[in-house]
Amino acid sequence: MAVRSQASRARWVLISPLLVFAAVFVAYPVFQGVQTSFFGLTLQNPSAPWVGLANYAHLFASQTFGGAARFTILFAVLVTTVEVVLGFGLAVLVNRQFPGKRVVFSCLLLPIMIAPALLGIMFRLLLNGDIGLVPALLGKVGLTVSLFAPGSVIPLIVGLDIVQWTSFTFLVIYSGLQSFPPDLLEAAQVDCAGAWRTLTAIILPIMSPVIFAAAFLRLIDALRTFDVIYVLTGGGPGTMTTTLSIYVYKTAFTSGDFGVASAASTVILLVLIPFVPFVVRRIARPEGRAK
Amino acid sequence: MKKQVLAVIGAAALAIGGAGCSPSTPGAAGASGDGTGLIRVVLWPGPEGDAMADVVDQYNSGQGKTDGVEVQMTLLSRQDTFSKEATLMAAKSSEQDIYFVASYNVGQFAASLTPLNSVDASHYFPAAIEGLQYQGEQYALPLDVSNHFLLYRKDLIDSLLSDSAQQAMYKTISAKVLGTVRAPKPADQWDLDDFKAMSAYFSKTENPDSPTQYGTILQSKNLLYNVMLWDDVLWGLGGSWTDADNKAALDTPEAQQAVQFYADIYTKKWASPDSAQAEFPETQAAIKSGSVAFALQWSAGFAELNDPAQSPDVAGKIAIAGMPGGKTHVHALAIALNKYSRNQAAATKFLSYLAQPAAMDIYAKSGGIPAMPQVLSDNQGINPVFAEVANSIDKYGYAEPVFPKSFDAYSQLAEDLSGAWVGSTPVADACATANKNLEALLAS
Repeated sequence: MAVRSQASRARWVLISPLLVFAAVFVAYPVFQGVQTSFFGLTLQNPSAPWVGLANYAHLFASQTFGGAARFTILFAVLVTTVEVVLGFGLAVLVNRQFPGKRVVFSCLLLPIMIAPALLGIMFRLLLNGDIGLVPALLGKVGLTVSLFAPGSVIPLIVGLDIVQWTSFTFLVIYSGLQSFPPDLLEAAQVDCAGAWRTLTAIILPIMSPVIFAAAFLRLIDALRTFDVIYVLTGGGPGTMTTTLSIYVYKTAFTSGDFGVASAASTVILLVLIPFVPFVVRRIARPEGRAK
Repeated sequence: MKKQVLAVIGAAALAIGGAGCSPSTPGAAGASGDGTGLIRVVLWPGPEGDAMADVVDQYNSGQGKTDGVEVQMTLLSRQDTFSKEATLMAAKSSEQDIYFVASYNVGQFAASLTPLNSVDASHYFPAAIEGLQYQGEQYALPLDVSNHFLLYRKDLIDSLLSDSAQQAMYKTISAKVLGTVRAPKPADQWDLDDFKAMSAYFSKTENPDSPTQYGTILQSKNLLYNVMLWDDVLWGLGGSWTDADNKAALDTPEAQQAVQFYADIYTKKWASPDSAQAEFPETQAAIKSGSVAFALQWSAGFAELNDPAQSPDVAGKIAIAGMPGGKTHVHALAIALNKYSRNQAAATKFLSYLAQPAAMDIYAKSGGIPAMPQVLSDNQGINPVFAEVANSIDKYGYAEPVFPKSFDAYSQLAEDLSGAWVGSTPVADACATANKNLEALLAS
């Protein structure tokens, strides 16, 4: 009995730093954010009167918020899908021995080493039509294209996100492949299963929790996309590339309307939380089953 | 299982909640210290921060010793200085004693500032000092003054004005663009139609022999500062944000014409396609690289373009003229006293020092453009733009309406109009939306 009680105490002691961290840096800010969403806190009115659901009503009447939500969801789903597919393909390709593997591996990981804001500034220079390297090289082969024109700006930011974050999905899936049981592949070979059959009936089902984890983490991050788009387009032209994070940022720090910005953050949180248990169940499944 | 669910919920909350905001926390009250000791000043990096650093150094080693005050300057990022200050103000922080503000956001920040009515402001441009007043109180002191000019390639315009073959081509193009034949004029005589015709003439789409790829570059990114440049076209066409009754006036023919002016130049490829995401640095790059012949630009851009070290291809070829619409937005970057400062008396001593020509003389010699006519006049030899600034502000300067949400209005107009500037939103729709949103901001 005493041993059990001691173990229980030790468990609490060991977990307490994480609990304190979560309380200070997760629970408290979230609580304060939700609380602020019910107040009319602005820079002009720091006394913050209670406004009930007025901030939420303002939000749902706002075309900009609706447009930002649509763009963010489409953007996040598109880039996550492409990045997971490419990351998986690269992981399968690299998951073998070949000369120069270390160099290829390092090159593939390079993009996630760069801070997103820095990447945005770098591409702002590289893609500039007057002084940028990329338009200059395209010009040499007779291609005149403005990557910042309204017609090409969305493909541009999607492309940049894929360039930066495919490395992440590759890394997660590649790590998963390292613990893949090799006897299953040998058995498939013995049974003369083709590459497609091996992929769809063995590798994908077993790897699905890892792929799901990579997709979930990437999706959450893509839904928060801010840095690169803000640096490159500021959310424009118009509101064409405004994401929810840019909307929240501008509402809070340009308009000085902290109440509405907090309401927007709360709505995003409430929309996403119901998906979490489903995703956790999917990720935490003991192991995938080969068909 | 339950733990895992909780763990992921926690992680997601941290991830998403990061975008959220905390409400205010009580800070120190606006208590005054004994008028001595350390005070902290916020500025942004760049020419203003560099110039102010020299002023602070000289104050600390001279007048500051007499005052018993030491100044410590903090440089925040140029992009986010106002956002970070807004956070400090919302938290009623006493961390900084003096904030960096501007005439376009002083109304928004006024609730967190202490009026400076006791400081002698008689040496400044009246337009600059008035732009920092809100509800009859002086909330900030001008530090650096900014306005706009037409920066152009003098070699190209001179060549056009002296060559009859080029003039004939210009007349043909102007007839096509404007519907009437125009002869080329010196840049300081342009109106907005000349600007448009010249944009077409110096673009390869209209004139394959043009020495530049495009006539100009328009700063059309969704950025509040770009609204200030577009406002020059609006004011130049006789428009304004508001009418005589202080109602929003952005669905007027003048406003639609001003948006159409940008849209025409952009969609007909007389401006660099990168205009859609252009601001100050992109405009500098386009002029430096020789891909455009002229541009509407901030006063701060001129010196760099004629510096052989920074602009080897165009230095010595760039000239400056007033805005083609005959109107230039003027704003002052300024400094203001934090209402929650714990040492307001010491901070006021430093502000009083800055309000004297001697301090602004140091500022001018260190690269700033002070808002004092006498100091600009005394330092014309340092920066040729000083004489132009003084003359231009005096003759053509205007300021947009100041109201509590004016900073928000710039940002809102950038959002509502930037799509139409580059032809991706219909002009009438954009103006109607901008008008509706401005009306709401004026009323709130």
